[in-house]
Amino acid sequence: MSRQPLDFSLNLGIDNSRRNSVFDVWIVTSVFLLSLLGILMIYSASQSVEMALRQGIYMVFGFVVLTIISFSNFRKMEVFYLYSYWPGLFLLIIVLFFSNENNETSRWIDLGMFTIQPSELMRFLLPLSAAAFLSRKPSISNFDYLVVFVLTLLATFLVLLQPDLGTALIVLLSGILPILLGGLPWRYIYLGAFVTVCSLPLIWFSLYEYQQQRILTLFNPEADIYGAGWNIAQSKIAIGSGGFWGKGYLNGSQSQLNFIPESHSDFIFSVISEEFGLIGVLFLMFLYGLLIYRLILISIKHQNRFAKILSATLSTILLAYISINICMVIGLLPVVGMPLPFVSQGGTALIINLVTIGIILSLRRET
Amino acid sequence: MKGKQFLTDQSILRRIFLFLFPFLILLIFAFLQILNLMVFQAEKFKTQADSNRILKEKVFPPRGLIFDTNDEIIVDNFIRQDLVVTPNFIEDYSLYLSLLSELVEIEKNTLEQVFYKKLSEIKPFQSFTLLRDLNDRQLAKVKLNFKDLPGTEINSSFSRNVVFGESSGAVIGYLGFASKQDILINPNLKNFNDQQVGLLGIEKEFDDELRGTVGYRYSEKDARGGVLDVLSVEPSTKGKNIKLSIDIELQDKLYKEFRGRKGALIAIEPDTGFIRAMISSPSYNPNFFNNFRTEEIKLLFQNKNSPLFNRAISGQYPPASTLKPFIGLVALEEDVITWQEKILDEGEFFVEGDKRPYTGWKEGGHGEVNMEKAIAESSDVYFYNIAYDLTVNSIAPFLKKFGFGKSSELFINESQGILPDKKWKLGQKGEFWFKGDTINMGIGQGYILATPLQIALAYSALINGGKLISPRIVQSIEGEETKFVSEKIEIKDIQNLEYIKESLISVVESNTGTAKNIFDPKLRIAGKTGTAQVKSILDDNKYQEIRENVLLRDHALFVGYGPVEDPSIVVVAIVENGESGSLVAAPIVQKAINLYEQ
Repeated sequence: MSRQPLDFSLNLGIDNSRRNSVFDVWIVTSVFLLSLLGILMIYSASQSVEMALRQGIYMVFGFVVLTIISFSNFRKMEVFYLYSYWPGLFLLIIVLFFSNENNETSRWIDLGMFTIQPSELMRFLLPLSAAAFLSRKPSISNFDYLVVFVLTLLATFLVLLQPDLGTALIVLLSGILPILLGGLPWRYIYLGAFVTVCSLPLIWFSLYEYQQQRILTLFNPEADIYGAGWNIAQSKIAIGSGGFWGKGYLNGSQSQLNFIPESHSDFIFSVISEEFGLIGVLFLMFLYGLLIYRLILISIKHQNRFAKILSATLSTILLAYISINICMVIGLLPVVGMPLPFVSQGGTALIINLVTIGIILSLRRET
Repeated sequence: MKGKQFLTDQSILRRIFLFLFPFLILLIFAFLQILNLMVFQAEKFKTQADSNRILKEKVFPPRGLIFDTNDEIIVDNFIRQDLVVTPNFIEDYSLYLSLLSELVEIEKNTLEQVFYKKLSEIKPFQSFTLLRDLNDRQLAKVKLNFKDLPGTEINSSFSRNVVFGESSGAVIGYLGFASKQDILINPNLKNFNDQQVGLLGIEKEFDDELRGTVGYRYSEKDARGGVLDVLSVEPSTKGKNIKLSIDIELQDKLYKEFRGRKGALIAIEPDTGFIRAMISSPSYNPNFFNNFRTEEIKLLFQNKNSPLFNRAISGQYPPASTLKPFIGLVALEEDVITWQEKILDEGEFFVEGDKRPYTGWKEGGHGEVNMEKAIAESSDVYFYNIAYDLTVNSIAPFLKKFGFGKSSELFINESQGILPDKKWKLGQKGEFWFKGDTINMGIGQGYILATPLQIALAYSALINGGKLISPRIVQSIEGEETKFVSEKIEIKDIQNLEYIKESLISVVESNTGTAKNIFDPKLRIAGKTGTAQVKSILDDNKYQEIRENVLLRDHALFVGYGPVEDPSIVVVAIVENGESGSLVAAPIVQKAINLYEQ
């Protein structure tokens, strides 16, 4: 006898009999344009055809996977999603034994043909399995929340070991969000917030010196313009000098003369700003706004608990990436190594983001 | 433990927005900051970006110098002035090129061609060399008008000068730009992609040593590309100096001996492997390439005598009679014949079941000959006989030990020659080996081919007591001596080598020797003549016909060594279509040995 699909939705009067077409044109178009912009900017920033080409291949691959996943039945996939945490955890442990040449921090597993970044993978697998775990029974016990919380802390800790503070925070967020959206009583939330605030000094002292330095730099960037503040200062010059219209593609002196650090990955926003100006920034923000809006809409409209938790979590994380990255390059937040979704160079991130979109689109099959 | 009900839609909605909210606030702050930077402070930042031009530029090292064995300089560098442009600093390309064309008195079209071609190859804010080797007049005019030429710099760089030009061309080789494929093979060339690197000869073989490594200069530039200040310099490291074993005086004089005739010469020390002269004639002046003399280069490529081809190491010739001493040596080693045993040479040799005779070069033959006489007079019939008895199965492996059919690895563009055997013929020609092939091989004709270098190495092994030496053309690199490598050849009876040497002396010193014309009691030399057939001769009528065409005339060969008492040098000379080994090639060899011994 086949298992009945779980349905704990409450009828709010939203019509759920109608099956939407899978492809939300707005979502797919904005994601496509963002990835394309990414390739253009990667070429400009790196002046390497090879790097741009590789990103293009990742993009094509990502879109194929996106299409396949978006047609899948998420109810059947739930079982896979539930256990997906474990391979993610396994990779996080494995990566600690890898060391990249002349790079003391090892965040990548080199598979010859390509590299994977397990921390990126985890921030995507964790909400997936957490959402599936929390919706597997009609009701959620406090113990369930605890299980998710502990596993989240474990994953966060492993990412911190790499050490990758930025992604660790995202992993933490991607585990906590399903708990909160699942309906954790407010008193626990207050308690958690209180404990976090109290332990801030403790967290500060457990940071590496360079991490502390980055945070200090934030408050006084001009103090150390040739040291830690240099990158931010140069990035600001690049953005500001772009002006309204920008300097034109491949014509940004800051970007082309290598004043901007990591211009093809974390600081790609500075390159866009310098070469395409405020117009370019507005266009980018419009694409992101449209994307987030459509994603949130799915989460609001959906009747299924799993789908609701998952899509809300994934879109919040996307928004977190966007806002933290932009704040970082304009000097509002410390530099924590967080790429701009769909645009920054990096195969793992691009493919994961596209798969994320694919999964949310698959949820959309039944709203 | 009792579970709780799932949240209502309103409360979950509230929670979603609660968590989106902080990030939206962040984004709003970010947007305000962006507006602030890009609109209100745009001018300030534009000025900052403009002044922010610290450029990292490559500094190229001078190439290593090349000396001859007597420390005479044969390749040096001189400084030339190049005009370098950074197109990003130029507003109007056309206007710029018009002005420049006036100043340097070069047609605008020519400038445009180079400019746009190079422009398409560089990345933004990179610069390239637009004009090379400005003369004083051009230099003065450009410098006077510097302020109207944004993004322009005069850079000193090095030009390569091969002092002896043509006579050392085949040895030295020339410079040029590395191809994309070269760079793929040798990533070290990447930094030199717009610089000349060695493409042929010593310049190529030892390019890694001669090249040195790139340095960098960080300089601050203004918005027009003018250098404001040099901030720091990572110095380049100079290429290593190379000392060749070549004696440039000997090389130069011997090259002139050829008087433009096609041919080659190798002079090598049998005990050290040092090459003292390596000549390929006609040759070319490497400076044409080094200094971009396009007209002259075009002529070189069109020249039918292929001056760029190094005949001394890449030219493959039938060794002809110069192979006979080796055939004689195998025969002695294999006990096919003894030193004194005589064979009747009546000018013709027949194989059983074949009516066609194998004729010797001398009509009527040499009469009764033993090995000494056979080598001295170069009797073909004697060697037809012993080759026939030996068979190719014992000849080919023996010749291989003396270096035939394999590269000595002196230069990469060296030819291997051909050492034929049954397997080779079946593979290459698709035919079985005939007895006639062995008979032809007995006098160094037929399929067998060797380079002058191979012949020199084989003779060196005869004289130095059976050591196959690895030739050396570089004596030391930056003072560090190159190593001498040799391989012992197994000889059953060392006396056999002495017999062969005796007969080589008779070639020059006996009354009937083929090279008796060069006998000189003051400096005794020994050797062997050879006449390599370019085309097989069938009868006398055809022979006259063939002689009409200079290109079909026989090649003249001579291998000599001296002094006979204690040989210090082996010289191989070949003059293409020179016809007579003794009259054309032998005097050159004699001259070489005399000059070397002075």
